[in-house]
Amino acid sequence: MLVPLSLLKDYVKITLPESKLSEKLTEAGLGVENIEEKEGEKILDLEVTPNRPDWLSVVGVAREIASLENLKVALPKVSEIKKPAKILPLKIKTDYRINPRFTGIIISNVNVEDSPQWLKERLIKIGMRPINNIVDITNFVMYELGNPLHAFDYDKIEGHQMSVGLSMEGESFESVDAVTYHLPKGAVVIRDSKKIIDLCGIKGGKNSGIYSGTKNVFIRVPVEVPNLIRKTSAKLGLRSDASSIFEKGVDAGNTVFALKRCVGLILKIAGGAVASEIYDLKEDRFEFWRLKVAVEKLNKIIGTEIPQKQTLGILESLNLSPKITKEGIECKIPTYRNDLKIEEDLIEEVARLYGYNKIEKKMPAGQIPVRRIEYFKDYSTMQKAKEILVAAGFSEIKSYSLVSEVELDKFGLNSKAVLRVDNPVSREFEYLRPTLKIGLAKGLAENKKFTSDINLFELGKTYRKKDKKATEEYFLACLSSNLSFAQLKGIIQKLFSEFGIKNDTSSFIEVLGEALFFEINFSEIETKANTQKIYKPIPKYPPIIEDLSIEVSKNFKTGDIIEHIKKQSPLIYDVSLIDEFENSKTFHIVYQDREKNLTRADVSKIREEIIKALKNKFLATSN
Amino acid sequence: MLNRNPRQRVFLCDIWYSKIAMEEELINIKNTALSFILEAQDRKSLEETKLQFLGRSGKLTLALKQLPKLPIEKRAAVGELANEIKRTIEEALAEKLSQVTSDSTTKRKESIDRTVPTVEPRIGHIHPISQVLSQTIEIFKSLGFQVADGPEIESDHYNFEVLNIPKYHPSRDTQQTLFLDSTGTSYSPGEMLLRTQTSNMQGRIMEKTKPPFRVLVPGKVFRYEQVDASHGFEFWQVEGFMVDKNVSMSHLFGTLDYFFKQFFGQSTKVKFVCHNFPFVEPGVEAYISCVVCRGKGCSFCKRTGWVEILGAGMIHPNVLKAVGINPNEWSGFAFGTGLSRMATLKFEMDDLRLLTTPDLRILEQF
Repeated sequence: MLVPLSLLKDYVKITLPESKLSEKLTEAGLGVENIEEKEGEKILDLEVTPNRPDWLSVVGVAREIASLENLKVALPKVSEIKKPAKILPLKIKTDYRINPRFTGIIISNVNVEDSPQWLKERLIKIGMRPINNIVDITNFVMYELGNPLHAFDYDKIEGHQMSVGLSMEGESFESVDAVTYHLPKGAVVIRDSKKIIDLCGIKGGKNSGIYSGTKNVFIRVPVEVPNLIRKTSAKLGLRSDASSIFEKGVDAGNTVFALKRCVGLILKIAGGAVASEIYDLKEDRFEFWRLKVAVEKLNKIIGTEIPQKQTLGILESLNLSPKITKEGIECKIPTYRNDLKIEEDLIEEVARLYGYNKIEKKMPAGQIPVRRIEYFKDYSTMQKAKEILVAAGFSEIKSYSLVSEVELDKFGLNSKAVLRVDNPVSREFEYLRPTLKIGLAKGLAENKKFTSDINLFELGKTYRKKDKKATEEYFLACLSSNLSFAQLKGIIQKLFSEFGIKNDTSSFIEVLGEALFFEINFSEIETKANTQKIYKPIPKYPPIIEDLSIEVSKNFKTGDIIEHIKKQSPLIYDVSLIDEFENSKTFHIVYQDREKNLTRADVSKIREEIIKALKNKFLATSN
Repeated sequence: MLNRNPRQRVFLCDIWYSKIAMEEELINIKNTALSFILEAQDRKSLEETKLQFLGRSGKLTLALKQLPKLPIEKRAAVGELANEIKRTIEEALAEKLSQVTSDSTTKRKESIDRTVPTVEPRIGHIHPISQVLSQTIEIFKSLGFQVADGPEIESDHYNFEVLNIPKYHPSRDTQQTLFLDSTGTSYSPGEMLLRTQTSNMQGRIMEKTKPPFRVLVPGKVFRYEQVDASHGFEFWQVEGFMVDKNVSMSHLFGTLDYFFKQFFGQSTKVKFVCHNFPFVEPGVEAYISCVVCRGKGCSFCKRTGWVEILGAGMIHPNVLKAVGINPNEWSGFAFGTGLSRMATLKFEMDDLRLLTTPDLRILEQF
């Protein structure tokens, strides 16, 4: 919403310097994003939240400044509409469920031409394109008061009848800007005796628009149903200044005032004469409503006691006519404040005008709740895993969950089995990754250009279809360009032992380009993790350590040989491979007895058992 | 008698049993050993001496092996003497060893070239977002908040409906949504989406946890948004909320002020403005003094001195009602902020995309 300061000054006195003014407005909830300077004119660029459609008008903004500064708003002067000398016929049929209020009037014998310079300039300043005097006036009044108005060429309304109804699927409609739409079912439209002439609340029809030859006009100021407007506008992907007001809720009590303002300007600028009574079809009265706020609740929610006099003053400045009653303060809410519906809404009004930053800052009192919440997660498991990997030289990356079909293909993953986004931002980010491999492979490619020492990990979610449902699980994946298989396997081992997981570590690692890669299901680790450490007394007796070299065929796996050695005696505490050359392997064997001192003789007996066992099972010879 | 001059030392152990009483021989061994130790200049000669006297075939060891040959009544006394000698030699060795070592340490100190290039230990780096998250969790844990985790693929119900955002609510515009393709699933089209906010966990947790509670939920969120320096279609958020008797805006402001000062430093200024989010009332937006210029005004903060950091407010009574909590009895606050934004602010990064670039030259800075 763009508001030139000079224009704003027509409606409210501005005494504050603009920087101070924008600070105050922002604090009160009407965010000033920027103050643009254009041709010597300062223009406020306002961020209007969806709850305040009244701020989509210059009068609405003026009202906010008036409340903040305790000033009065100067509304445009309108005069009563004179009895028409000659009446043109028009039959209107509406349905209050889809069009709660239909206000309108006919003006005959207007001169459609370019707007006067002052009006054109104003429109340009607020970012609108001047079209002709009638259209420009309706646009300006919408901008001024926040009520969208639409002008029809009276003579093009066939049968001189208007009927508000819902569209059927696929009905065709050409808008004033000459775009043809196929309407969805249920759009609110106006039909004359033959055709659709208006897509209500969104766009007027080309077939009944105002052009240079137009003589008689019908002005309509409606109240539309927000949801209906929004549904149609979303389905068509078509939005207008009018629809963005209607979908948030227009000031339903102000249609007649807006109409009078518009008529006054038309008669002054385009000439002509009123040619009908004011139509005002409605069921509701569209008057203020009453809303109460209990003082106790007000103080409880704000947390700082605001003197009652000050509270009343704030509500008064917002034109809410506060009155003290037994149950609290009762306000009369003007129809332009559709956002004020519950007690909490009034509490916000008081708090924001009192000033959020004057509210005392306190720490929450009371006991810290000890009950375990639902969805509790102990992040220390993840933290521990990351610490281990970082200590081992790995750096953490965060990559996108969304990947492309091309990337899935590259890793032999069938995109049909992978979860997909219906409306991806681009084809690059279309599928939900079933593996962390894609992100890490990108990391490898990215870093290869300048280093050969690439050790990366990611701990993040992967997504899968399971039993026709979407599932997501945390995975931990590592990629290394320079660690050996044994070293990387050692990292898995370290992680498993840290979390008390007993699982074979050899099946996880795969070759990924020039690097080694593994990924493990971390959600599973989190559920199984046992990080409880229990002290084991250190052995009282010294171990005996020996190295044993054997010749054995490469067909046998080192892991199997070590397992077999361990099986030979409970006194074998640890076995590791320390050297390997062609067919020879050297194992480091630690013998340990927790009960007594081991003797050389004890050990040599076990050693002989080992050699015998290895000979039997692996045809190994010792040297 | 005893010869203290090492140059003329006499070894008698080999013939001790025939000529000399065993006690004398043991004392002789002791004195010889001590003189060797005294003379030793380095670790190596001390180790040799140790081997020569205390080793498997050392002199003292061999002497002790003769113990059984003594008459029974003498064995105990001689045995005790032998052990005492063994201790004396061991102590002398240890003392001399530490003396020799400290001498060599001194020498080593003198020979260090302090200008050599450093060799850093090869350790990895935790991602800046994870660092920011850990710090956030730590601060809120100290205030009694428990941490939770929940789904990223979410239903319209928890992402919007429970949060007072019915279908066709205009505020859905501010959170353009990525929907899950329902093909091959049991979902109906449009039912499931990628959560646009971690606030989805408000409903999930509140409907199953009895108040009072204090909760922190970090996680990834998704938006239909074109990528640029300050927008992404995937980013990280953290959501916090608490419900208790008498929770007020004062508590919200106090908590956030404490958090920002802990996180960005004690000199950080915090300001709150009114804002509208459908699931809170009153609604709040928080700003902190610009981290780059400390509030003076620079290009980072568009010359305002302030940067927007977080949305918050008092939990809307409709949300409390929707999860079965009586808003007349309980009240609560909620806040949500971008972890990605926190990270870029903390580390003065000018582009959100840096956080998802797996470049070690970036990662190694953290």
